Amino acid sequence: MMKSYFDDLVSGIEARLAEDPENRSPRKVYALEVARLGQRLYGETESVAWCGVTAPFDLLAAMGVTSCFVEFVGAMLAATGMEGAFLEEAEHAGYGGDTCGYHRAVLGAARKDLMPVPDFLIATSSPCTGGLAVMENLARHFEKDLFVLNVPQEASDAGVRYLADQIRDMAAFVADHTGQRLDPARLRQAIDNTNRARTLLEEAYQLAQHVPSPVTGRMMGNFGVVMALLLGTEAAVTVARTYRDAFARRVEKGEGGLARENLRLLWIQNRIQFKNPLIEMLEKDFGAVVVADELNAITWEAIDPDDPYEGLARRAISIPFNGQGRRRVDHLQKMAASFKVNGAINPCNWGCRQGTGARGLIGEGLKAVGVPVLNLEVDCIDSRNFAEGQLRTRLEAFAEMIAGRPSPWH
Amino acid sequence: MSSSTRGRIGFSCAYTPLPAIAAAGFVPHRILPLSASPDQAGRYLHDNLCPHVKRLVDRAMDDDLPPMAGMVVVNSCDAMRRLADAWRHVRPKEPVFLLDLPATGDAAAVAFFATEIERLAQALDEWGGRALETGALKHAADRYNQLGALFATLRQQMVQGRLPGGRSRLQVLYNRATEMGPAAAADMLAAELDATGQDCGGDGVPIYLFGNVLADPEAFALIEAGGARVVGDDFCTGSRLFSPVEISGGGEGFKGLARSLLKRPPCARTFMADKPGALVDHVLAGAAASAARGVIGHTLKFCDPYLARLPIVRDALRDAGIPLLLLEGDCSLGSIGQQRTRIEAFIEMLR
Ligand code: SF4
Ligand code: SF4
Repeated sequence: MMKSYFDDLVSGIEARLAEDPENRSPRKVYALEVARLGQRLYGETESVAWCGVTAPFDLLAAMGVTSCFVEFVGAMLAATGMEGAFLEEAEHAGYGGDTCGYHRAVLGAARKDLMPVPDFLIATSSPCTGGLAVMENLARHFEKDLFVLNVPQEASDAGVRYLADQIRDMAAFVADHTGQRLDPARLRQAIDNTNRARTLLEEAYQLAQHVPSPVTGRMMGNFGVVMALLLGTEAAVTVARTYRDAFARRVEKGEGGLARENLRLLWIQNRIQFKNPLIEMLEKDFGAVVVADELNAITWEAIDPDDPYEGLARRAISIPFNGQGRRRVDHLQKMAASFKVNGAINPCNWGCRQGTGARGLIGEGLKAVGVPVLNLEVDCIDSRNFAEGQLRTRLEAFAEMIAGRPSPWH
Repeated sequence: MSSSTRGRIGFSCAYTPLPAIAAAGFVPHRILPLSASPDQAGRYLHDNLCPHVKRLVDRAMDDDLPPMAGMVVVNSCDAMRRLADAWRHVRPKEPVFLLDLPATGDAAAVAFFATEIERLAQALDEWGGRALETGALKHAADRYNQLGALFATLRQQMVQGRLPGGRSRLQVLYNRATEMGPAAAADMLAAELDATGQDCGGDGVPIYLFGNVLADPEAFALIEAGGARVVGDDFCTGSRLFSPVEISGGGEGFKGLARSLLKRPPCARTFMADKPGALVDHVLAGAAASAARGVIGHTLKFCDPYLARLPIVRDALRDAGIPLLLLEGDCSLGSIGQQRTRIEAFIEMLR
């Protein structure tokens, strides 16, 4: 079922891109590569690893392993409107509604045989405790070996060394399971691809800061976090370049993603994954465009292709969800300033202790730089209780409120 | 300077390296989620966060705390990390140390955790403590081991029905011991042991208890009043805090402490990659070793480590033919009181 879904998706997007090869939509190029990843995951021909969010996907790619964080499955089920049955399956098995919807959906999918059986699993202790626990459950369910990467909270010397050594051990674990040793030339090539994509992404994000911004609210949803899955491959470079070039063209012409950009918004943490009209409503009714998502940012330095372990470790430690809340608040304050946002939206995904736990501090931190935050109460995966009317009203009131205030950046 | 004048260091997790704090000359003081402080943590923390952490923040906001030289928070779960954030915010004048804790207990994790304890030792030094030497650390660990042995004796007496007040009394002692240094706590327990011994056991149904945070003695009294005789248990506000610590000489101090802590009976947040779901084996072994007729699990709402593992615990106990009652609490006596009928019915069924 999933294989044919991804096959159809790939051929559909390829056909649409072929219609106008000179004007390739960056979002379509991105969607194509993500669909191709899905195709490989479900293709039953490659080594597959289910992973935590901060696994080094480029290193895994260099070792010939198709890998993906499990939350991707939850998001995909929600995006296709199929999550309900899988959430119910997990709940029926005792995984209560108070846990993160991404994880519940994944557990339901595994129990209903909707996830390919992996060759092994790689858990990461960051970003969340729930993510680590779900990997333990999946390893038990699939009866496959599990490797755990403990991601330290700080990039101290000891912390970086500890994680770098674990990544080295992980490579040995992977080689034991695939029978293929890590080829230094392939690793160098993968890291080179990562670095090239990194530079292009940095440029794209900088272009997105332009006023008016070349982005639309849908264009960058889930982008930064999912791009991590493509790192190490030529596909990551292609996607990043397509975005960078499209943005550069628009900026050069002085065009915004929206014809009329009145308000600029920052989206905190993850998007609402199931279909909903809120982003369009903000754009259409208020000219309010989500110009930045928290994870659409480069928080790490280029990685040394000849000795990548330390750089890979630093990258994992650097994500804003890791470490102290103060670090995350600093990151959001910087984003708010560089993207010149008028307000921020925090969906407060129900069940996410990592994210919602910091709600109060994030609210105060952004308020301190003049950016009001709207906290929503929503499960980003579970559409069954989605109170669209109520959210619409709150977003409208928020947009009206920030429209009546001068931008904090003038 | 004596330890009492150096002051208290607050802590909130059973993975806290208490011997390091005591050896630096401070009194480790567990901040328990027991208080009448108004519910105001919601200003910083979402409704869906662990009530243990929220109660601690309520206490901090209400200033319902002894004077403290600092606070040590262990990065044991997302909620604890958020506790450190909130603590810094509501008590800006008090230093807070976030101790990073690996999720596994392998050799590399032990080595890293040892560097973290060393970092803590430096912070304690800056907060006015003594510089740590292996000798002092070993001495403090010995004191904690003595305390642990005294608790083991008391537990044995409880199981034999010779501890007046049963598990509820034991909790009173755990709570007091976690708010004093090891020597004072050992004196307290020695006095208690002198007073125990007479047969006060009833015909209660032998029950094994497990869970994360259950600190209110009244909660145990309620379970015992429902007809249970607690023959074994595993809580982070109970025996887990006082399991043995091994520190050899020769500069291995921090490593020994780190190893001992990571080898402790696992809280749900710690696991072995080569044995996913080891918590299940631990609960099964605890129930079997104590010859319990049934198991009661009490966990707090919104605790991800437990929420994610309870279904497999439930399945494993069912397969082993051991009856299980799962209770969910919020650190208030009211929440367990509401479940009184379920507890009584469960125990009645086991008679
Ligand atoms: S939403 Fe939160 S709990 Fe869920 S996967 Fe993301 S970080 Fe983890
Ligand atoms: S009860 Fe659970 S969520 Fe709360 S502090 Fe303990 S492990 Fe963390």
